[in-house]
Amino acid sequence: MSDSVSVTIDGRSVTVPAGTSLWDAARELGIDIPVLCHSPRMRPVGVCRMCVVDTGARNLQAACVRPCEEGMEVRTDSDRVVRNRRMLLELLMADYPDPSAREASTGDDELLALARAYGVTSSRFEGSRTPEAPRRDASSPVIAVDHQACILCDRCIRGCNELQHNHVMTRSGKGATTRIAFDLDVPMGESTCVSCGECQAVCPTGALTNRALEGLHLVEEETP
Amino acid sequence: MTDTNVSARVVESVCPYCGVGCALSWVVDTGRNRIVEARGRDGAANAGRLCVKGRYGFDYTTHAHRLTRPLIRREDAYPKGALSWDDRGPRRPGGPVDPETVLPHFREATWEEALERVAGSLAGIRDRDGGDALAGFGSAKGSNEEAYLFQKLVRAGFGTNNVDHCTRLCHASSVAALLEGIGSGGVTNIVRDIARADVALITGCNPTENHPVAATFMKQAAAGGTELLVVNTRRPAIADHAAMYVEIRPGTDVAFYNAMMHVIIREGLVDEAFIAERTEGYEALRDNVAAYPPEAVAELCGVSAERITEAARLFGRARAAMLFWGMGISQHTHGTDNARCLIALAMITGNTGRAGTGLHPLRGQNNVQGASDAGLIPMMYPDYQKVADPEARARFEAFWGRPLSPSPGRTVTEITDGALEGAIRGMYILGENPFVSDPDVEKVRKALARLDFLVVQDIFLTETAEFADVILPGSAFAEKTGTFTNTDRRVQVGRQALQPPGEARQDWHIIRDIAERMGLPMDYPDVAAVFDEFAGCTNSYASLSHAVLGSRGRWYPCPDPEHSEGEPIVFQETFPRGRALLVPAQPSPPVEPTDPEYPLVLNTGRVLEHWHTGTMTRRSRALHAISPEGFVEMHPDDAAAYGIGDRDWAAVTSRRGTIRVRARVDDRVARGSVFIPMHFREACANVLTHPAVDPYGKIPAFKYCAVRVERVAVEASA
Repeated sequence: MSDSVSVTIDGRSVTVPAGTSLWDAARELGIDIPVLCHSPRMRPVGVCRMCVVDTGARNLQAACVRPCEEGMEVRTDSDRVVRNRRMLLELLMADYPDPSAREASTGDDELLALARAYGVTSSRFEGSRTPEAPRRDASSPVIAVDHQACILCDRCIRGCNELQHNHVMTRSGKGATTRIAFDLDVPMGESTCVSCGECQAVCPTGALTNRALEGLHLVEEETP
Repeated sequence: MTDTNVSARVVESVCPYCGVGCALSWVVDTGRNRIVEARGRDGAANAGRLCVKGRYGFDYTTHAHRLTRPLIRREDAYPKGALSWDDRGPRRPGGPVDPETVLPHFREATWEEALERVAGSLAGIRDRDGGDALAGFGSAKGSNEEAYLFQKLVRAGFGTNNVDHCTRLCHASSVAALLEGIGSGGVTNIVRDIARADVALITGCNPTENHPVAATFMKQAAAGGTELLVVNTRRPAIADHAAMYVEIRPGTDVAFYNAMMHVIIREGLVDEAFIAERTEGYEALRDNVAAYPPEAVAELCGVSAERITEAARLFGRARAAMLFWGMGISQHTHGTDNARCLIALAMITGNTGRAGTGLHPLRGQNNVQGASDAGLIPMMYPDYQKVADPEARARFEAFWGRPLSPSPGRTVTEITDGALEGAIRGMYILGENPFVSDPDVEKVRKALARLDFLVVQDIFLTETAEFADVILPGSAFAEKTGTFTNTDRRVQVGRQALQPPGEARQDWHIIRDIAERMGLPMDYPDVAAVFDEFAGCTNSYASLSHAVLGSRGRWYPCPDPEHSEGEPIVFQETFPRGRALLVPAQPSPPVEPTDPEYPLVLNTGRVLEHWHTGTMTRRSRALHAISPEGFVEMHPDDAAAYGIGDRDWAAVTSRRGTIRVRARVDDRVARGSVFIPMHFREACANVLTHPAVDPYGKIPAFKYCAVRVERVAVEASA
């Protein structure tokens, strides 16, 4: 097996070590493929499907987990890809809270930024939250939890377990009631959480936010 | 919307807390001169990670208790004594010194009056009683530049080597053993090199609480196949990730490691080539450990001979093994012997100079490495040049243009003794709080009260400042620029994000102004020029400057900083002293063994959310909310035997005093031992600790003294 492979992404060729993901290969070319669940600091898991690209296969492929193959021809911005992303965004926005705590304070809600970029201003779908699931958890003195804003991207879970190795966070429930949970699904402030804040730092949405920023709206000055 | 719009600026800096040295960015609300958020940066030590202190514990900077004007003690506030000490105790809510109880004893003064008073009083004592009647405590929380200027002022301005700092209370014994054994006190391999180790011995430390981000890389290594061998007297959380956890009895480290080495030698697990080429003294070490078969120490250590043998094999068979240790090794009257054993263990198995090996004493304070490098220790000039060496002295006399004292100065605890005896008459304390951090605080109280003159420079009214004649308001970490050297020898720039409040000034300006009034000009255009002068009198930092350090910093040594990050692994070919010296050690009995009157061993330490004497963290909203009060941790069996339940109030008594504190019943502490964190002044662990010190490192035995615990009834707080 060869040590490197060559692929063509949006008409441009790149040679990368075998095993490199399409997302990383695109980044080498300066092509940003949108993501919600993926972060270069983390093991890719391919759960949000926002990074799907067209490799000519029957299904669109999640670029963060799909390894490059020799001679692969990839489109990251075909109509099919864009339509797919719009649909995903519309589904994710269906029950998304307005305002999002992240957008309101630091203005860097990644879901809302993508929705704006793809022109998704409203959703044809209705939310399906079960009423018995408590929406907010304010038991931690430092981190606010809003399950309504959670898109189950698992960044927090990987941040907790695979970056900080604290092994507090997991998923609980199933189907539409699946949600992030702490220990055996106890409130965050009563769990073994050590408040390192990694989950809050990596969360792309308003699900896990810094309580100290509540009521503030940051407008960052240009950094020289 | 009721949201407050904040115009925010992002400043790249480093965390002010521990020795890990995490790179971070602060989001600064420029209009209100405050930090609103901390974000991890991709630093060499942290890869974007932070812990609870770095991420949420920065708001102490803008706490209402900040000192904003110079203060002079009122005439009617003499004789001196502790002012807030009686507001401790179970009926009082926990918390730091309340200025309302202290401020009435002081009056506000202008900088001119305060500086004149400080310089005049210190110079008066110097001219009347000689320089050795003065002493200075600097701080490992200060920058390299501040440490350098402070020791320069004491040495060249006061005319004494009586300058020390809290390294004396943390790793002085490790450094003594390392200087003796290999000729350098710095770590040989960076923390993250653990990823390349087969086995890592993690002993006498509790990294998940005290070096939390370093601990994430240890846990990550364990998940990737590195086998952790955790040895402790109180189960640390990192033991959950260990291949093997060995709980030894307090104070039996030397016997345990001698027995491990016994097995390693007996079973031929030594690296003969390394011993022959890189060490000396092997025969003496071998003959010494021959007397320590595991069977002979099993009972003393409380570990079976089989377990000791198993631990020795795990370590001895590793291709690459790394050693981490902390205060559980160093803070004993035999701390230097403990560290000698670890050095010998690494050397006879050939575990230095390669990837995934080496010696890593985990540094506690953010700049304990740098402050020591900068000469903030009584026996060394910058870069560990000995004050007793006539050539080094001549060099610094020429460099600083002043005659220098040829005799090594007093250490922290010796300075306290000197003040008690009347040999030390005046002190300058910058950013340290010995009244809570030093052993046997009743003794410290008497010593501080006896001084003719004490100036304290700090950001808050500390318990120590209550004894001051003059209090000078300094600047918090985020209010100044300077370099800090982390546990990995990484030199990083902390950048100013805020303005000091009120009339508070940058600390290096205050040192300069005192020095100039005492006849020692310190004319530097900026703090980068101070760094340049410091770097110029060292080999380790000579190639570095603020400009070249940039936003990422460098590991020293770094011969080519334009093209290299510096050296993550040192001593690959030879040690600074040539061959490593193997020093045999014998176990010594504890200074204060338990007896029927004081049947329990007291161990002291820290908790994740707090920092040392709590002056910063107890004024952080989040950290105080998570961890509001002290505790005494007891094994369930001991608690039952003394009739104490979880959260009951207990009186803990040693031969030096009594504190009242709530019990926390938890089997992570061994039977026969109790643990009390050092941060909480109203339940001050150092009321109890023994002031005996290690003969080489002069470090106090914070990890061992005899106490008893009794249940006390306390009515609910008023």
